[in-house]
Amino acid sequence: MSLDIPRSTAAPAAKPRSFLHENPSVLWFMGLLGVFTVAVTVLSEGFGIGMISTNLVKVLGMTLCLCLIAIAMDVVWGYCGILSLGHFAFFGLGGYAIGMWLMYARTEIVIRDSLGRGTIPPTELEVSEAVAAQIFGVVGSSELPLIWTFAGSLPFQLAMVVLVPGLLALVFGWLAFRSRVTGVYLSILTQAMTLALSLYLFQNDTGLRGNNGLSGLQNIPGFLHVPQSVLSVWFFWASACALGAGYLLFAWVVSGKFGSVIRAIRDNEARVRFLGYNVEGYKLFVFTITAVISGIAGALYYPQAGIINPAEIAPIASIYLAVWVAIGGRGRLYGAVIGAAFVSLLSSWLTGGGAPNIDLGFYRIVWTDWWLVLLGLGFVAVTLFFPKGIGGVFDYLVRKKP
Amino acid sequence: MPRLLALVAIIFAYAVTTPLQAQTESVTPLQDALQTVQPDVANPSRATVPAVLRVLLQADAPGTVDFLRAWGDREVYERPGDGLFFYATDAPDRMLSLIDIDTGETVTEVSTREVNQIRPNAGVRREIGAALVSFELLHPNPDRRLAALDNIARSPDADQIEALTAARAAEDDSRIAARMDRLLDLLNARFATDTAVRVDAIDGLRGDISTEARRVLNQILQTRAEFAPEIPEGTNVARIREPGADMELTAAYGTLSDAGLAPARPGRNTIRDALRTNVVDGTVGGIPVHQLTTDEMRRAAYAALQAEGIVAPLVTEADMRAAVAEVVFFDAYLEPDPAVTTAARDALDSTRTKISLWQFVSISLDALSLASIFFLAAIGLAITFGVMRVINMAHGEFIMMGAYTGYVVQTVIPNYTTSLIVALPLAFAVTFVAGVAMERLVIRHLYTRPLETLLATFGISIALQQLAKNIFGTQARPLTAPDWLAGAIQVNDVVSVASIRVAIFFMALMFLLMLLYILNRTRLGLEVRAVTQNPGMAASMGINPDRINMLTFGLGSGIAGVAGVSIGLVAQVTSEMGANYIVQSFMTVVVGGVGSVFGTLAGATLIGFLQKGIEWFNPANTLAAQTFMVLFIILFIQFRPKGIVALKGRAAGD
Repeated sequence: MSLDIPRSTAAPAAKPRSFLHENPSVLWFMGLLGVFTVAVTVLSEGFGIGMISTNLVKVLGMTLCLCLIAIAMDVVWGYCGILSLGHFAFFGLGGYAIGMWLMYARTEIVIRDSLGRGTIPPTELEVSEAVAAQIFGVVGSSELPLIWTFAGSLPFQLAMVVLVPGLLALVFGWLAFRSRVTGVYLSILTQAMTLALSLYLFQNDTGLRGNNGLSGLQNIPGFLHVPQSVLSVWFFWASACALGAGYLLFAWVVSGKFGSVIRAIRDNEARVRFLGYNVEGYKLFVFTITAVISGIAGALYYPQAGIINPAEIAPIASIYLAVWVAIGGRGRLYGAVIGAAFVSLLSSWLTGGGAPNIDLGFYRIVWTDWWLVLLGLGFVAVTLFFPKGIGGVFDYLVRKKP
Repeated sequence: MPRLLALVAIIFAYAVTTPLQAQTESVTPLQDALQTVQPDVANPSRATVPAVLRVLLQADAPGTVDFLRAWGDREVYERPGDGLFFYATDAPDRMLSLIDIDTGETVTEVSTREVNQIRPNAGVRREIGAALVSFELLHPNPDRRLAALDNIARSPDADQIEALTAARAAEDDSRIAARMDRLLDLLNARFATDTAVRVDAIDGLRGDISTEARRVLNQILQTRAEFAPEIPEGTNVARIREPGADMELTAAYGTLSDAGLAPARPGRNTIRDALRTNVVDGTVGGIPVHQLTTDEMRRAAYAALQAEGIVAPLVTEADMRAAVAEVVFFDAYLEPDPAVTTAARDALDSTRTKISLWQFVSISLDALSLASIFFLAAIGLAITFGVMRVINMAHGEFIMMGAYTGYVVQTVIPNYTTSLIVALPLAFAVTFVAGVAMERLVIRHLYTRPLETLLATFGISIALQQLAKNIFGTQARPLTAPDWLAGAIQVNDVVSVASIRVAIFFMALMFLLMLLYILNRTRLGLEVRAVTQNPGMAASMGINPDRINMLTFGLGSGIAGVAGVSIGLVAQVTSEMGANYIVQSFMTVVVGGVGSVFGTLAGATLIGFLQKGIEWFNPANTLAAQTFMVLFIILFIQFRPKGIVALKGRAAGD
């Protein structure tokens, strides 16, 4: 399925000076993504020879979602110069929006099943009350909050995945850019937004189960009989498609005249404004579209993770996002993908106990304890000595070619 | 029963508060005193008790109160041979171990026949109980009298009025007399038999914001929900409830049916259960089971069952209204006398305004304390940000470093006061060095890329946080304040401030003054201000900006260390404590205006008061307060993007 993308986009490549001709990295990326997807599918437990465990498929699928939000971050930071420390909030909101449907619909199926076994069938009211009691019993409530009114409707919640992060970004961005908040101030403001959101979600009475978050998201209503090994591959495909489509979209956005303008805004905002461009409008567009993509990435991520809680939205998560992009290399989309994949996979390898501990004789390095120290210092080193990040290596390789 | 409680309380307090008294010339002072009135003790009557008490009061022997209690509880025995008194415990073979009333030592074992148990009658026991109170109230030692008053306040009782009035007449210490007056008011308000006395006493409690006064008033105003066909004569009605308006109709009907005055109303669950038990061949009341998915269908089926006479009838809303209209629902005061309840309500209302005023004071003090913590946490950041345009994400970790320095010092120096005195400068030194090192190694190379400084310092921040976790563990470490800072300053029952918070306030004040002095009156301050305003021009005037930057960064970090020690005293020391303050600190700086000491002060004050102010409206929810505060700040930045105190000139930047 994901293989369709490179094939369908291969057609315009024939034309001279086309989009793909200008951006050879897109073809490379699509090709690699396709190969990777096929390889994982063949090696998976659900569809292939079972060399890759279901859990690992999920981790890889989640990593693809992280890559997607990383390229969104790269566009907003690396291309447009807005260091947003709040994009993980949009990611989380997307996750919450889809999580509400997953949780509601699954609970409803379970409740209908158990109530239906009685001698007389349940009324709608009884069902929704039982569902509410089941979901919100953990925060000591049994009423369905207002925001859950349409939680049973998949199309509505899917729309929310896009609309909630998009609208939040639109309003927040409009307020911030309108009053010309820039640079470090803007970073802190976005961080404050994330903090406010996570604090809000941490409350038990805001209708999203407080710090319990939403759980059991790995069970997809309507596909409850499908084993996780198959579901995980489906989600992996979906994530790969989303990443591919997102990459194409952003490559297209940053390549044309629009791309030149936002890069110019990054380099000198005042001059672009003097040239007559509506700087705020450009920034707002970039901020909002990346927020929407982040929401979609979140909506694909959390069904694979299985649980979402407000800690995911804490300011630190968004800073990690900036770290991935910086390590991968800003201002190039593949750099963001490399950074996100490299750091998050290395992190899960080292903290998951996969890496062997090193015995120095006088001290034993336990990676779970030292990984963050390594990451922090490594990150300082990258900022100081390799501002172009890992992606800079490709520049070097390309330049070497005759 | 309350009397017994009072006795026990008094005796307990006596046992706790009385220091061991030195042995006087006699080994058995209590026995000696009792022997002088031996017949009155052995065969007490109401008339003779006062004489015994007078003697005991004069003797002031240790164990007197224990004796009185035992005497009243029939635990004192008389040995007929010599007339001496003993306590006793059961021993094997129906024997008693006699215990000396002075020394508490077992003297001998006797059979129950050989001693007389002293059995005071009920009148005498009441007398002894009251005596126990007055005995303490008339005690020559004022501390003992105060302790007795506290005991009365803790478990008030009608019988204490008399003893207290008597004691009040004899009291000459004005402080204790005032306390007695108030206690008398409290007791009279609750227990006096005469309405005029009670109303008088209640009026005396007007504007008294202490919890005990409010408790008494609220007790008088307790109500009970009742209903009756007509309000009975002599009922002191608090309010009449209108079903449907200020009382749920179903709830009102529920009370009636609970009382058996109306048929129970089948609720949804009852209907469902009734249908469930009456399923016949897949139908209920002629309706197929699978159609019973709405309340209407269920009710129809139930009505069919009702027609067959199988189930209790449905109760419609009209039925409920009719049933409820038959009676009046009202809240009645437990206190039957309306004059008393009116006076109490008036008194409580007048108290309420005063209390809100004091609560406002209390909230303001809390806010001030929070503001000083924010100020301490943010001022270092403001300096570095203002002078160097550098965002130091590791600032929170410097706070943490300072707190852990305090913790380590405390493990080495056990004396809390000394360790605190050592920890403060040491924390400053440690974080000063860390700050200077960070400036030289990292930040210096990133001056042209401010956003990247933010990220690099964040890298340092996560590394430091994890290092702290590796060294000290994830468990929270205590940083204990010395005893003289441990208590609270109690202004009245509404307002109290923890001493440690007062200390932090003064520490923040001290730092404010010190910084103002350094910045405005010293050579370093002059150079810092010059670099802040125009680094290039300052350099050409012979100032070395690198050196100034380094020192400024060190100063900012050092203050973070000291802030860490102070914050550690009020919160737990964990590796994440810095991260908890960093965002707030940033907001303080941004709201206040970058690079200005007064700006930070204004920002901290605003945020502190705002947070506490929001908490006032919703005290249970600190998280909501924080959420709204952050939202407010986001909006605030819209209108004053440069903060409250905006710098002018080159430093104002882009």
